Amino acid sequence: MEVLSITDLRKSYGGKAVLTGVDLKVNKGEIIGYIGPNGAGKSTTVKLMLGLEGGYSGKIEIFGEDIATQGEGYKKRIGYIPETAEMYDSLTAQEYLTFVAELYGMDYDDADRKAKAMLEVFGMGDSYHSRISSFSKGMKQKTLIVSSFLHDPDLLFLDEPLTGLDANSVMVFKEILARFAAEGKTIFYSSHIMDVVEKISNRIVLLHGGYIVANGSFEELKSQSQEGTLENIFNQMTGFHEHQERAAEFVSIVKEG
Amino acid sequence: MDQFFILRLLDLFQPLFEKLGIEYKTMRRILQVKLTMDQRRKPTVFQQSGNKKDKPEKNEFFKSLWIYALFGLMLIPFLFFKDTYLFQVSILFSIFMFIVMTTLISDFSSVLLDLRDKSVLSTKPVNSKTVSMAKLLHVTIYMLYITLAITLIPLIVSLFVKGFLFFLLLLGTFVLADIFIIAFTALLYLFILRFFDGEKLKDIINYVQIALSIAMMVGYQVVIRSFEFVDLTYQFDFSWWQLLLPPLWFGGLFDLLLGGRTATGIILLAAFAVIGPVVSIVVYLKMIPDFERNLQKLSSQSGKKKSSSRWKLLRSVPFFVSKAELQFFRFASRMMKNERDFKLKVYPSLGFAIVIPFVFMFNSYSWMTFEEFTASRNYMTIYSVLLVIPASVMMLAHSGSYKGSWVFQVAPVASLGIINKAALKAFLFQLFLPLYLLVSIVFSILFGVRIIDDLFAALIAALVYTVLCFLLGKKELAFSQPFDAVQKSGDISVFLLFLIIPILVGLHFLALTLPYGVIGYAIALFIINLVLWRKL
Repeated sequence: MEVLSITDLRKSYGGKAVLTGVDLKVNKGEIIGYIGPNGAGKSTTVKLMLGLEGGYSGKIEIFGEDIATQGEGYKKRIGYIPETAEMYDSLTAQEYLTFVAELYGMDYDDADRKAKAMLEVFGMGDSYHSRISSFSKGMKQKTLIVSSFLHDPDLLFLDEPLTGLDANSVMVFKEILARFAAEGKTIFYSSHIMDVVEKISNRIVLLHGGYIVANGSFEELKSQSQEGTLENIFNQMTGFHEHQERAAEFVSIVKEG
Repeated sequence: MDQFFILRLLDLFQPLFEKLGIEYKTMRRILQVKLTMDQRRKPTVFQQSGNKKDKPEKNEFFKSLWIYALFGLMLIPFLFFKDTYLFQVSILFSIFMFIVMTTLISDFSSVLLDLRDKSVLSTKPVNSKTVSMAKLLHVTIYMLYITLAITLIPLIVSLFVKGFLFFLLLLGTFVLADIFIIAFTALLYLFILRFFDGEKLKDIINYVQIALSIAMMVGYQVVIRSFEFVDLTYQFDFSWWQLLLPPLWFGGLFDLLLGGRTATGIILLAAFAVIGPVVSIVVYLKMIPDFERNLQKLSSQSGKKKSSSRWKLLRSVPFFVSKAELQFFRFASRMMKNERDFKLKVYPSLGFAIVIPFVFMFNSYSWMTFEEFTASRNYMTIYSVLLVIPASVMMLAHSGSYKGSWVFQVAPVASLGIINKAALKAFLFQLFLPLYLLVSIVFSILFGVRIIDDLFAALIAALVYTVLCFLLGKKELAFSQPFDAVQKSGDISVFLLFLIIPILVGLHFLALTLPYGVIGYAIALFIINLVLWRKL
């Protein structure tokens, strides 16, 4: 079953084209690894799907309905971890999480109970009543993770969700994703950390220059490009070969007086 | 989270909001969260400047309200006028609307034009109408508190002087005026957002703020001039353009209802008093989705910025900025230029600084001949340009990206004082000096070159005043503090700093009576200036 369908999506900012015709279909239960160089348009795609921005051409359908015509109701079934960890950080974790849950239409008491229990899983039970501004990077990220799962969404947009997490929490989180995918939740995972993407995604979508240059499982991509790791495939497909030269140049500039 | 009284008050209007297609429960929750956050001081990167750690939750805002109460006292004399209602009420509303509108455009524009919420709120299933309404109410709540502070004492006085009916009508019209001001300002922003794009939009908003400040100053003069002083009473002749002056609407309403005057002009004005606010709020509500959509434009980065060649000019004045300061000076200038909130809060006062000297001047000009006028000392009103300094200096400590200030602590900067010094100089050079020169040129044309020494002395006084404002303030590191949603430019410290200006003017006048006095005054100030800048 198709959860997400993008047809010929184009978007430009003040004459500069960012997306130049993206076509993508995502089925229920898939984990999509959404990768691409900086400035390729990954965040823009996600922002358009969430209705944070308008002014695009083409069609975005989520849960089978065109988001341009169906209002904001579809967001009820979406969870989102933004790349910039923006939160109301003068609130406590409890206040923030219950607030967000209520925006999703949850009952306060349910949200309160669930949020506390979920933070406890991440070892943050004690911080439930502390202000987010006092949290470390990893704790903030855990709070964001909880806020995006709290309302039991069917489709998740995760933008660098592992930022700042310690190795143990990373393992827990990866396992969480695998279990949810098995249960039929769809996960849209964008990241620059290639080995994680390689391991957790069933399908990898590579965006470059405003359109999709590769779309398939890791095995498929590997057979196409005869490269060993996703990192190498990435370099090859984005036409980047001079990493050694660039590094040498950087070092020599640093050494200059 | 506290229960807010104001929210319970709002609950009474729940059906109304729901009729407008707003999810009341959600909106209330957003407001509750916003009000809670306003009460909390945001932590700063620099802990040493944060010695006021987590005081009991009390909105700083409420502490600044008494200043407004003080402003409100200005309204009281007009309640004792024996003239027509039209005159006294119009003047009363001119002052009232002036205070409210200036507060709104300088302190709350940033809330209306806030984008920070976007990623938190818009990704949730909340309709934009609800978010917008929450935003508008957030501002309205603070405006109502301010209104209450301004009008409480005058209202009580009016109850005793003018009776219950007058009191009641005054209360109602104050609220109407508030609604009109907020809706009008929001509509104005909407209009700009709609027709401009990208970088230009950001600039235009600041120009509009300046223009609004000027328009209000001038508008106030026009209201007064609508009345002619004949035989010890004010005469009023109606003409169509007076319909453009909102304070007169309310004067007309009082004249009609309490004074019983039924001239066509009066009826028209009275009708506008009711129609104006209602129409403006209805139109705004209709346009809300448009507002939210266009607001996004503010965040878009479009076009490359041209690099300024002004730096070359600067290198030629090394006595002004030392080599060590230059980098921070450059940094501070760019921050000031790019910091949207800074501009939103400071630019309106730039508008005032341009107009106030002339307003003061023309008030006295009206009873002088031109020859008398040019020979007079009215040019001393140049000191009113200094009014822009305290709030600007205070704002220099703030930044939207305040967290970035960790770099100063990490980098081997010998003294953080140099950063503040450079920031103050950047402010003087980039904002104050152009303004001052502009007014100075006009003054030199009006009063002749004889006043050049005075203008020069006043400029040095401005330098002294700038550094005084900093030293007497909180002395926080430039750009290291977050902007609060409710900034208190009516802060007591700013108010007290204003009081230094008349002292400077007094000294200058004293110097004028002595031979070579002005030169002596300038030299003395210059020495003080050198000493004080070293203290940074």
